[in-house]
Amino acid sequence: MAEVALYYEAYGYIYYCAAKDTVMSPSVRLQEMIRVIRSARTQGEERGIIQRECADIRAQFRQGDNGERSHSLAKLLYVHMLGYPAHFGQMECVRLIASPRYSEKRIGYLGAMMLLDEKQDASLLITNSIKNDLSHSSQYVQSLALCTLACMGSAEMCRDLAPEIERLLRASNSYIKKKATLCAVHIIRKVPELAELFTPSARTLLSEKNHGVLHGAVVLITELCVRNPDTLDRFRKAVPELVQIMKGLVTSSYSPEHNVAGISDPFLQVRILRLLRILGHNNDTASDAMNDLLAQVATNTDSSKTAGSAVLYETVLTIMDINSESGLRVLAVNILGRFLLNNDRNIRYISMTSLQKIVQTDHNAVQRHRGTIVDCLKDQDTSVKRRALELSLALVSAVNVRSMMKELLIFLSVCPPELRSQTASGIFNAAERYSPSKRWHIDTILHVLTKAGGDVRDETVPNLIQLITTASELHCYTVHKLYRALVKDIAQQSLVQVACWCIGEYGDLLLKGECEEIEPVQVTEDDVLDALETVLQSHMSSPATRGFALTATMKLSTRITDNVDRIRSIVSIYGSCIDLELQQRAVEYNALFKKYDHMRAAVLERMPVMDKNSPGHTNGETPGEIKEPDTSKPKPVEAGLLSEPASQVCDLLDLLGGTDTPLQPSPAPTSTPTTTSSADLLDLLGGLELTPVPTVSVYEKNGLSLKIQCDKQTETEVVINLIASNSTQTDITNFTLQAAVPKSVQLQMKAPSGTVIPAHGLGQVTQTVLLNNPNKVSLKMRIRVSYSNQGAMHQDTVQIDSFPSTACQPSISPL
Amino acid sequence: MMHFLLLFSRQGKLRLQKWFLPLPERERKKIVKDMTTMVLSRKPRTCNFLHWKDLKIVYKRYASLYFCCGLDNQDNELLALEILHRYVELLDKYFGNVCELDIIFNFEKAYFILDEFLMGGEIQETSKQSIAKSVEASDMLQETMEEYMSKPAF
Repeated sequence: MAEVALYYEAYGYIYYCAAKDTVMSPSVRLQEMIRVIRSARTQGEERGIIQRECADIRAQFRQGDNGERSHSLAKLLYVHMLGYPAHFGQMECVRLIASPRYSEKRIGYLGAMMLLDEKQDASLLITNSIKNDLSHSSQYVQSLALCTLACMGSAEMCRDLAPEIERLLRASNSYIKKKATLCAVHIIRKVPELAELFTPSARTLLSEKNHGVLHGAVVLITELCVRNPDTLDRFRKAVPELVQIMKGLVTSSYSPEHNVAGISDPFLQVRILRLLRILGHNNDTASDAMNDLLAQVATNTDSSKTAGSAVLYETVLTIMDINSESGLRVLAVNILGRFLLNNDRNIRYISMTSLQKIVQTDHNAVQRHRGTIVDCLKDQDTSVKRRALELSLALVSAVNVRSMMKELLIFLSVCPPELRSQTASGIFNAAERYSPSKRWHIDTILHVLTKAGGDVRDETVPNLIQLITTASELHCYTVHKLYRALVKDIAQQSLVQVACWCIGEYGDLLLKGECEEIEPVQVTEDDVLDALETVLQSHMSSPATRGFALTATMKLSTRITDNVDRIRSIVSIYGSCIDLELQQRAVEYNALFKKYDHMRAAVLERMPVMDKNSPGHTNGETPGEIKEPDTSKPKPVEAGLLSEPASQVCDLLDLLGGTDTPLQPSPAPTSTPTTTSSADLLDLLGGLELTPVPTVSVYEKNGLSLKIQCDKQTETEVVINLIASNSTQTDITNFTLQAAVPKSVQLQMKAPSGTVIPAHGLGQVTQTVLLNNPNKVSLKMRIRVSYSNQGAMHQDTVQIDSFPSTACQPSISPL
Repeated sequence: MMHFLLLFSRQGKLRLQKWFLPLPERERKKIVKDMTTMVLSRKPRTCNFLHWKDLKIVYKRYASLYFCCGLDNQDNELLALEILHRYVELLDKYFGNVCELDIIFNFEKAYFILDEFLMGGEIQETSKQSIAKSVEASDMLQETMEEYMSKPAF
């Protein structure tokens, strides 16, 4: 683009103006005031000058017609632009608009556009003046009126003046017609019902030769079609005409009036393409009629300058949005691919936003450009990086996951901080869907935690732990790797939490000192306990992390042989810790040592494999994951089903007084597949899974959230799972649920999985309710929730009003 | 459609503000502040497009002035760059080698030119010559009145 030279002069503007020898009549007094204001050295000085000037202006306004009013209003408008109040000028605008002098009208209308908006009462007062000026003999006066109406016309004014505008649309010169057309667009935006008034004239305007009118006509037709599908249908007949006009523009010889960098009227071309897009969308006939034209534009437009690229860009958008033939689509994607290699950063950015829109529908075509997209991750511009990241994540597939992940992990180390958490979540999602092996998956997650542990979401820790438990053959490998990481650095909380959990769980494997997959560490029991104690004592560790470390230490008491006393002493020390959470745990563990030592081994034994799916869910598959079948493990504990281990745990909890935390900070599995919406959109294996049971949130208050899942077993029996979680900083204790149902419905509540909900969403309590509805009445349920949190008792009630029989989706009204 | 067009200097001083949608004064002040902060903090050699709330923001720097406009999501950003450039060309033709001082001391003329180019957030004329002619004719109309009244316009 030709650079326009703008430069700064230090001299007073009056002399400068004379030197330039322009035709303008120097507006001395306005410019004098501007010069004086600009010479103010401080804000205070400026305010003083402005106050004086405003007093002057007010006096001028009061004096009435003396030929000076327009000059005063202009000064006021300047003051207004500096940010000072100017309401006292509103009435003056109204007066000036009504003046017969053109100069006064001109500044009056400008003032109206700047100071009045549809909310002021004064704006209504100019309606009459506008109406008169619309029929003025001078087209420049008409133009002022049209412009002002299109800028700030309220709905009322629009209704009033619409017939006038329609008349001007039909019978006037092209100067006025083009303005009336855009005025009509404004009217329709303000008062959609008036669209019908303009529809007939809009069609005829397409035969105008004047580009300004034509452009306005296309905008008007676009607005009409967007608002009314019937109108859209009617205007489809105009497609051949539009195609003709476009062809004329594309193939025309050089026309100096409309040429921009070799493109004939790119503004008009882009608008026509946009209208064609709307007309051809979901319509085969219309799309067919424009196929040739689009191919022609796509191939013949010179995109070396922005004007051409703008037209090409719009063409690509149109091709992708209508029912175009596949050859044309490939052409479009290739154009975007070419854009990706363009030197101009803007064009690279545009191309990536467009590719993002089509990556779902034309996945293979976009994949061909994967290399270039990944290269854009290294661009200096953050906006470009962001686009490249989103696109790269969308392009990860089972085939390219290893190489893509390598690139993404490199990107994670160098990316700007505002993109870190998005990158981390993206990597996790991709890893979950496409990991070639469990070991690779675990390695990837650990890598991310090491690099960006502070930016990952809270569920990462429980998710990773769940993943580790399912990879039983990798326990040895995992614990060795994590131990090494822990010893190296304990700053990344999520990594430390997972490491502590693993060491607690699989410490015996660590101490054995042998491992097939990785070089084993040779550690003593003291070394391991040292590591955990460092975490416990470090001020870098968050309270949650210390909780992990303490529990891990406790668990080791059944996995090591020599140093149980050391563990005992650690546990008893923390019995007087100031942190309430740690203190509670330590006290309980102490109790486990003292009074319930005979149960310690059973309580602290290895966790069973956690099923990632929600309780009551019959589908055992996780979407997208290559899961090794593992049928030897016992059923998951968190399910509110009465399996043997569950009842044992429940009994144990009862024996221990019923107020205990669960003995592990059991990372509860995420209960629905819908936690990250992008994972679902990209779910390529979606067709293979059974439809998951939806979880609906019925209650969310003070950090406690209650979700409900209902599953119809038979015609009259419904199984309802209630899942409670806690996002506050402290545990929720004494949590109980009571339920009431209509008289004819039978209710059976199973034992809850616990009465304590750990903080920070680290665990959940689930409870199953069986309903038998033999009379098939409309199901309603009232649930009373009561719990303690931070020393205060809470009670609340939730009413669930209906469970529609087929979908079993409850509708909720919290009381 | 274009929602607004702002011109501001490197120090964040507003030189022109055209609003194509009705917004309360407070809202406008906030948008101006947001735009100036966002655009002025952009590094050189970054792309000219930004996202702000649900609008696309296109900006371009011409010497000491930033031209910044807010667009709907379906609008073509590359074309917006052309629109900004066209406006600068119109100013340049009118003032002859236009600079920031011209726009400061003749702000009303900058608005008049803009009002011949854009209306209701859309382009009303695509021919440079046509716009230049209209502005010239309006100026003549004003001046004949002035001569008649033998007083300067303002």
